[in-house]
Amino acid sequence: MAKKPDLLPGTLDMLILKTLTRSPLHGYGIALSIKRLSDDVLTVEEGSLYPALQRLLLQGWVKAEWKMTDTNRRARFYTLTALGRKQLGLEVSQFEQMIEAIGRVLSDAQEV
Amino acid sequence: MNPFSRFVKRLAILLGRTRFRSELDEEMAFHRAEAEKELLQNGMAPDTARSAAVRQLGNQALLRDQTHSIVGFSFETVLGDLRYAVRQLVQSPAFTIVMLLTLGLSIGANSAIFSVIDGVLLKTLPYPRADRLVRVFLSSASFPKFPLNPFDFRDFRARNRSFESMAIFTRGDVQLSRSGEPARLNGFGISSGYFHVLGLQPELGREFDQKAEVPGNGLQVILSDRTWRTRFNSDPAIVGRKITLNMQPFTIIGVMPAGTEHPGNEYHAVAYGESVDVWWPFSFAGDPNRRGSHYVEGIARLRDNVTVEQARAELNAIMTGLGREHPNNDAGWTVLVIPLYTEIVGGSRQMLLVLLGAVGTVLLIACANAANLLLARASARQRELAVRLAMGAPRVRVMRQLLTESLLLSFAGGALGLLLALGGVDLLVSLLPADFPRTHDIHVSEPVFAFTFLISILTGILFGLAPAWQAARTDPKEGLQKGGRTTTGASHQSRLRNTLVVSEVGLACVLLIGAGLMLRSLLNQLHLDPGFRQEHVLTASISLPHEQYKTNAAVGRFYQQLDANLGALPAVESAGAGSDLPWTGWDENAGGFNIEGKKPPPGNEYHARYHMATPGYFKALGVPLIGGRFFNDGDTETSRQIIIVNRAMADRYWPGENVIGKRMTFEDTPKEKDWMTVVGEVGDIKDQPNSPRAEPGFWWPESQASNSDMSVVLRSTSNPELLADALRNEVRRLNPELAVADVQVLDRIVSESVATPRLAFVLVGMFAGLAILLAAIGTYGVISYSVSRRTAEFGLRMALGAQQRDVLRLVLVQAIKLTLEGAALGIIVSLAAARVLKSLIFNVSPTDPATFLAVGLLVIAVALVACYIPARRATQTDPMNALRSE
Repeated sequence: MAKKPDLLPGTLDMLILKTLTRSPLHGYGIALSIKRLSDDVLTVEEGSLYPALQRLLLQGWVKAEWKMTDTNRRARFYTLTALGRKQLGLEVSQFEQMIEAIGRVLSDAQEV
Repeated sequence: MNPFSRFVKRLAILLGRTRFRSELDEEMAFHRAEAEKELLQNGMAPDTARSAAVRQLGNQALLRDQTHSIVGFSFETVLGDLRYAVRQLVQSPAFTIVMLLTLGLSIGANSAIFSVIDGVLLKTLPYPRADRLVRVFLSSASFPKFPLNPFDFRDFRARNRSFESMAIFTRGDVQLSRSGEPARLNGFGISSGYFHVLGLQPELGREFDQKAEVPGNGLQVILSDRTWRTRFNSDPAIVGRKITLNMQPFTIIGVMPAGTEHPGNEYHAVAYGESVDVWWPFSFAGDPNRRGSHYVEGIARLRDNVTVEQARAELNAIMTGLGREHPNNDAGWTVLVIPLYTEIVGGSRQMLLVLLGAVGTVLLIACANAANLLLARASARQRELAVRLAMGAPRVRVMRQLLTESLLLSFAGGALGLLLALGGVDLLVSLLPADFPRTHDIHVSEPVFAFTFLISILTGILFGLAPAWQAARTDPKEGLQKGGRTTTGASHQSRLRNTLVVSEVGLACVLLIGAGLMLRSLLNQLHLDPGFRQEHVLTASISLPHEQYKTNAAVGRFYQQLDANLGALPAVESAGAGSDLPWTGWDENAGGFNIEGKKPPPGNEYHARYHMATPGYFKALGVPLIGGRFFNDGDTETSRQIIIVNRAMADRYWPGENVIGKRMTFEDTPKEKDWMTVVGEVGDIKDQPNSPRAEPGFWWPESQASNSDMSVVLRSTSNPELLADALRNEVRRLNPELAVADVQVLDRIVSESVATPRLAFVLVGMFAGLAILLAAIGTYGVISYSVSRRTAEFGLRMALGAQQRDVLRLVLVQAIKLTLEGAALGIIVSLAAARVLKSLIFNVSPTDPATFLAVGLLVIAVALVACYIPARRATQTDPMNALRSE
């Protein structure tokens, strides 16, 4: 089995917040959503997902409530808060700055 | 979100812990179910799908723990660790009890010694800005530390610029009468401003002014708080009242507050502390040009910005000037300026630091021992740790868990130690010599609590590190497979444990050698010939008030009569009186006498201790007569002047001659009647039992050089204490207003004099005993661990024909090897540290070979005893069983 690339450190929070911008999701839904949107490139380890969700809850960036799913099972749904939306903007812009900077370094003509 | 609402959220989670967990569990279950559903939809078989979903979710226990650690408080995990630690310790009570006892004893001993150090060395003296206070002494070739002459002091006071204020004080006990039972009070004559120098102020009234220093103005007195309370009923209107001291009316002008501590003194010493009852004004009587007598002690307060060194230099310059003005008396002296703190505690400092070192060493050994026991336990717990690691517990968590256990042990040990210290300090104080400074300042107080807390933490971390580190190296796979019997870490662990035991044995050796040296030193002091016979002797002191006994003849008659009356008592073998008792610090010197037919070497006048004695004195004390005769009733004020000399004086000034009949005089142009003839030579008594040699000394008969303060000596045929009442009766019959003070048996004076070496030996001996016990436990632990690991090997050896004694030898050799390494280490450290002990031991070299050898043998013997049980176990290995079990 080919090894999948690890998530860049520090990006998990951002990805979770991003998936929640469309609609509230439960934990499994978040993991699924990230996997699908990245065309199976990114997998979120459950071992990191739930601790991360608790961290976001504690920061007040997401809210959680128990609701019924379409298949009539009880699940905890996470919703993005206004504070979370602001945080997402901040993280995305920081991330883009970083990617840009990395791109500039990699595209240095002399080397290749 | 602000920290406060984060805190509130955490608190809510903490309070609803159960709900939090069950919700998390439900969320996981949901996740697992969804994953399983998806896998099923992808065409996976139901069983495979379930296990795949579970695998994907990973280690649930770890996940729960991690999630919780994000939202929880850190103390929650600590509490969890603590609960677990308590459970672990309760499960192995023998281990826990050994640990707690050894730690408790070691920490308790440290706390107790620290209480003494805190009270004696660390607490500031009870005077404002005490660091500015100094004592002033003179020094010469013959008298390295000597009191001042009052007129020299008066000139120092007038001429110096270094001191804010200066004062003198000198011992002078007084007799209180006509206020209840007659009593001798500890008294000091003080110059004006004495309390000002100390920074103290009277509670009532005022202190003496300069007018009181004029001779004839001196009938004033200041009372101590204790005297005021116990003898005068705390009378608030006491200032101005007259009381009878030495048969004269004194006016009370002040009362000092409680806590007024005597700064200690050299000449007729009274210990530091609240030891003085009354102060009377010192007056400058006599001819200011005669400065030969030295009996007042200087104390002074340095000005700000003046150093001790500067003050010393200035006083020396003044002294040089005085030497020119009074060449007969003041030339040849230098001035010593010693900080008061150094003067008070300087003599005890070395011993206390050695004790601290000894007790600290015990704690180190206890740490090594605890680490050793924990390591042994850790190898027994290998499987448990491996399981926890395999279940996904991070190594840091396991290490923290183990450290929590160590700290729990060390804190419980610390608490136990504190209890021991609370009980032990009083015992310790009771063992201290009577002249030990500041004993009343020794308590288990806040600094001691803080110290105990601190060493408990340090101890716990120190001995917990090794096992925790070991645990971090545990390989869960191997730990599980081999079940803790033999692991790859084992050889490394044995090395660590061997090192610990070697250091334990080494440090224990250092303490044993120290204790051995102190024991030899103590025995040396006890076995010295004191120069007198201490058994069955009662002593007391009496002073005759000048008002009632104005002439030498009157004083002489009193003591002659007392001698005769006491000698006639039934159980009295002999009775006498003398100016002093052995080993009590008598230091009266006479200098500048002339010896018939001899000339002193230039700049080195003749000098000797002088004493007075009644005829029965030497016999009652048991001082041997070497030649000539003792005094007798025929020696009167009018008969020819005579003296008795000691052997040291005979050897110094009449070497190789028969001293009986030789003559000396204090006159420069003596008439016939001025000569004093030596009629007897007696044995030597040193100043202190451990003084290097006896000082030259001579005695005048009390009848010819009367002294009003005398020590009475009664030699009894039975228990001397029974004579105390008879003595009081006889004194009362002669004069009902006289107090009989300091009634004690001579045995006690003798035992006081060895109190310091005895204390040092008892404490260091106790510490050494504890140390060797700990080292024995350590050796036992290591050997017994090694035997259990080598069971198979022994089995194999025995199957191949080895005898029991071969196996026994294998084990013993291992134990002896460890012990010898430890002993070698201990001997090297002891040799290096020998210098520290030098000043504390008497007549023993700090590298005494006999002591070193004895300690080496003792340690080997203890090691053999310690490994006897495991060694026997090894010899009883059943080859078949041992091989099968592997």
